[in-house]
Formats: sequence, C-alpha cells, structure tokens
Amino acid sequence: MTQKEFLTTVLPIKDKLYRLAKRLLVSSDEAEDAVQEIMLKLWNGKEKMGNYKNPEAFAMTMTKNFCLDRLKSKQAGNMKIVHSNFQNTDNVERQVEANDGVSLVFQIMETLPEQQRMILQLRDVEQYEFAEISEMLGSNETAIRVALSRARKTVREQMIKNYNYGIN
Amino acid sequence: MESTRIERLLDTYFEGNTTLAEEATLRDYFTGREVAEHLAPYAPMFKGFVQAQQEESTSEVKLPQSGFKVKSWWYSIAATILVAVTVGSIVFSNRGLSQEEQEAIAALKQTKEAMMLLSSNLNKGTENVAYLNEFAKGSSTIKHINQFKETTDKILK
Repeated sequence: MTQKEFLTTVLPIKDKLYRLAKRLLVSSDEAEDAVQEIMLKLWNGKEKMGNYKNPEAFAMTMTKNFCLDRLKSKQAGNMKIVHSNFQNTDNVERQVEANDGVSLVFQIMETLPEQQRMILQLRDVEQYEFAEISEMLGSNETAIRVALSRARKTVREQMIKNYNYGIN
Repeated sequence: MESTRIERLLDTYFEGNTTLAEEATLRDYFTGREVAEHLAPYAPMFKGFVQAQQEESTSEVKLPQSGFKVKSWWYSIAATILVAVTVGSIVFSNRGLSQEEQEAIAALKQTKEAMMLLSSNLNKGTENVAYLNEFAKGSSTIKHINQFKETTDKILK
C-alpha cells in the first residue's frame, strides 16, 4: 500500500476519529495528538489493514482503545478530566459553542460514563448502524441499545431540568 | 398533526429503538424553523448532535516518508559518525600522546642510547683484540729471533 492509497483510505475517516477522541478526552489538543498517533499506528500496520473487512471500524476501535488507555493512565496520575460541574464555563471553546443550550448538551455528554458517551457519539453524532457500533466497541447490539437509551434519557433529564430553571 | 408523530418518534428514540431514518426525521424537525413550543426543550439536543458532527480535525497527518528511506537515512548518519570517529582518533593519536605512550617512547630512547654505548665499547674491545693479534705477531717474531739465536749458537760452537 502506497502512502497515497493509505491516505485515500484513512483521510475520509480522520475527522470521525478526531471527534470520537475529543468526546472521550475532551481537550481538542489531546484529541489531535491521539489522531496523529492512531494515523502512525495505522500506517505502520497498513499491510494488515487490507485484511480487515471494515478498515473504518478497525480505526474506530483503535481510537477507542487508545483514548481509554489515555484516560486510565491519567486517572492513575490523579488528573481528573471529567467535569461534573456545569457552571464551569471558563473554556473558550465552550463559549464559542454556547448558543441556545447546545453547549449544555456537550457538557452533559462529558458527564456520561465512557461507554455511553461513545455510543451516543457513534449513533447520534456519526449515525452508524447498530451492527457497525457493535463491531467497533466489541459489544452486542442489545447492550448497545440499552446503553444508548440510558445516555439519551440522561441528556433529556438534564436538559429539561435546565430548561425549566431557565424559564422560572 | 406533525407534532404528535414527532412525540411518538421521541418515545421510541429514548428507548433506543428508532432507525437511522427516523432519527434523521427527528434531526430535521428540531433543526427546522417550526418546532412546537412544548417540544422546544428537545431542540438543543438534536442541534448539538448536528453541530458536533461538523467539527473537524485541523492538524495535518504527518507520516514517515517510507520505511526504506528512513533506514538509509540512518545508515548515512551512522557512516558519517564512524568516519568522523576514525579520522578523529588518528588525528588525536598523532597530536597528544598519553602518559603511558610518552613513557614508552622515553624508555625506547634510553634503551637505544644504552645499546649505542654498549656497541661503541664493544668496538673498542675489538680494537684491543686487534692489538692482541699484533702482540701475538710480535711474540711469534720473537720466536723466530729465538730460532735465529739457536742456529747462531750452534754455528758459534
């Protein structure tokens, strides 16, 4: 596989990898670093990549594993990146996103457990089929539907709570 | 009424049972202009998903040129270092000698001098031997003289 062939396979999914990484790692710098690492890993294993029937799912799984490892080592180093505080709006990016409660959706998503966060990202943001998501996450479709339902309901609950506060 | 259809879809949606097409319908409805007032609280959720999908990675993918080129590049670096070290060691060995080497050279010098002294003395010795030969010649001459004396004595008798 030449570099050109590799890039035509991989570049269309680069943004998807980035968005999944950012959903998990929160910081866009860290997500960019993660994408770069994943690209190098994919490049080094490019001979094998042809053997996978779905290179996109393979790359997604790789990103998921990479980011989860990152998060684990961070937690080990006592650097918590999960923000449970909704009032924390000192992030510039968040202020840019801030319009009619959309930024709140992102903040709520950050508080979800990692598995639910990934499923919500893959289904509601990237619009993958359940079969694809189950391949990417190595989990069965029923479990994915259950986790997805929980994630959606949590977002709804928090949104409505906030919406009512806003009105009163 | 459209809002009742949306309500029903929302129920299915929150149970995790909508298809991708149904979810697209929901997205279109909530990102559109006419959202029923009682459904408005759901709008940010779907708007958020749409917005999240537009986010793009801004960094460029950096890949190594190719496996072989990287290797040959390292080989040339290694070769350069090897040459530099070799040349350097030769230059240095000629310039500054180590303590041990200087001692060795001094010892060699001394040994040479000692050998020269010895050989010059040896030459003197051989000269003396030459004198000894002369002496031997002399003594043999004396023998001849003695012989001569004997014969003259006989004649005198």
